[in-house]
Amino acid sequence: MKSSKKRKGTLWSWLCLMPSLLLIGAIVLFPILYTGYISFTNMNVYHWFDYTFIGLQNYIRALFVFDAGFLKALLLTILWTVLNMAFQLIIAFVLASLLNNPRLKLRKLYKTILMFPWAMPGYVSILLWKNGMFNSQFGLFNQWMERLGLDPARWLANDVVAFISCMAVNLWLALPFMIMIMDGALQSVDKSYYESSLLDGAGWFTRSFKLTIPAIKPIIAPAVIITVFTTFKQFDVIYLLTQQEGSKTGANIHTVITYAYENAFVTSNYGYSSAISIIIFLFLIAFTVLGNIRKKEERQ
Amino acid sequence: MKKSRRLRKVRRFAGHTILNIFFIAVCFVTMIPILYAFSVSLNAQNSILGSNFSFIPKEFTGDNYRAVFTEQPVLLWFKNTIILAAASVGISLLVAVPGAYALSRFRFKGRIAIFNGLVMLHSFPAILSMFAIYKLLSPVGLINTKPGLILVYIGTMSIFGLLNLKGFFDSIPVEIEEAAAIDGADGLQVVTRILLPLARPAVIVTAVMVLIFVWNEYIYAVTFMTGASNYTLAAGLYSLQATEMSGKWPVFAAASIVVSLPILLIFFLVQRHMTSGLTAGGVKG
Repeated sequence: MKSSKKRKGTLWSWLCLMPSLLLIGAIVLFPILYTGYISFTNMNVYHWFDYTFIGLQNYIRALFVFDAGFLKALLLTILWTVLNMAFQLIIAFVLASLLNNPRLKLRKLYKTILMFPWAMPGYVSILLWKNGMFNSQFGLFNQWMERLGLDPARWLANDVVAFISCMAVNLWLALPFMIMIMDGALQSVDKSYYESSLLDGAGWFTRSFKLTIPAIKPIIAPAVIITVFTTFKQFDVIYLLTQQEGSKTGANIHTVITYAYENAFVTSNYGYSSAISIIIFLFLIAFTVLGNIRKKEERQ
Repeated sequence: MKKSRRLRKVRRFAGHTILNIFFIAVCFVTMIPILYAFSVSLNAQNSILGSNFSFIPKEFTGDNYRAVFTEQPVLLWFKNTIILAAASVGISLLVAVPGAYALSRFRFKGRIAIFNGLVMLHSFPAILSMFAIYKLLSPVGLINTKPGLILVYIGTMSIFGLLNLKGFFDSIPVEIEEAAAIDGADGLQVVTRILLPLARPAVIVTAVMVLIFVWNEYIYAVTFMTGASNYTLAAGLYSLQATEMSGKWPVFAAASIVVSLPILLIFFLVQRHMTSGLTAGGVKG
């Protein structure tokens, strides 16, 4: 009796899951397997159908030939992720702390306005930044430069300047989510917990580092980890600002994702691009597993 | 004594004023790109090369908005987007709800393996799948068709839907369903009458995330669809700025505002659900 019920349950489970699994199989799993397969071949614009297996050559080129560009892109991606996360955490913490001043009567209004960059369609915002702010002829920044009597700058042409420009846009896009998370975490921290230390005359910094940050750390951790992943995988900002087909700005900054994209769709090095995709995937899996192990350890 | 209290009051008042000024400044700086576009879109004297720009136009015009609707097939793009978004949201929920229910409630062999597999697959960046998906859809004639694009969208968002809903279902006590079952409700009734109403926030977040994803997705839309009549709003706007830009910037600004408005509206309607739903599922779309 019981086992037949259980068997029926198993059958039902698989039936319920089947549509999802079929979809995931076709649109998520198949592309990964296919990419893995192509990564061992020399498929490119010259070998579109008559590609041959070349073993690990694509991987060797990506990982051991620095001039190929992947390692440079990887270092830049790590720098990009670290800098973005650092700025995001610091700015969001300061703003959320200030917003949490109970006597700030308009804080709901401020919060709503600060959410706008998150609410706007991301690609629209990025294109508005590109065409409205950074454009070298009629962009707002250069209008201001002109008014200040300075020479107009090309905000997206030089590698370093373009990197900073991209980071500014990414921060603009990502800060609302982080402010929201920090704000929620700060509100959930018990107020009475603070009052004792307030009486002790502890300053804002002492309070933040000794009390607030340790208290909100476990609450914001999942959101921070998710944001690390999205920052690492960020494509739209750098692509739309500097590398759109036909309107490259001259800057040559690549994260691993834009690098893989360019090798697939611009220079048509499918084999090589696939190998890079698989390396990125393995990287991300390693992060995920490490993150889960740490989470389990913390729970114990 | 009295004096020191007044002094404290004055200092507190000054502190508040500074804090308010600070936040007004922060809000203004945040809004600059949007305000600038908005202002340019309404400005009658668009001397775009002039440097005498102000955020409030001296003369207003609706010409740029008129141009958006008359010179570009925006209404057609809008229709395409609505069809794609409605189909994607509907099918995503139909597929994800039973799947997430099974993952959350049934204890079957392979459950943990499936769950772990989903988390791992979810980390693969969707953009890197484009070439392979093209190879898959091309022989079956699904390139340059709406069903093909819908398939890509629901497939891309399927893991998010499963994980997000499963996470929320997990937080609903099984006892509620058991009580309903004792009262004579069958399996389907338990899900539709008890579980789904309770899981409304998660269902809303899933639906809105799929909607926003479809609304904002441009790269698959321009790669898989050819011809401006098949474009979505995102693809249309993207192609509008990719071609010669300088003369069209005010029109583009107006189009940006038009395209963003529905999403802004929906976002602020469901905003209170957004963070909870997103972090509960452990994934951000």
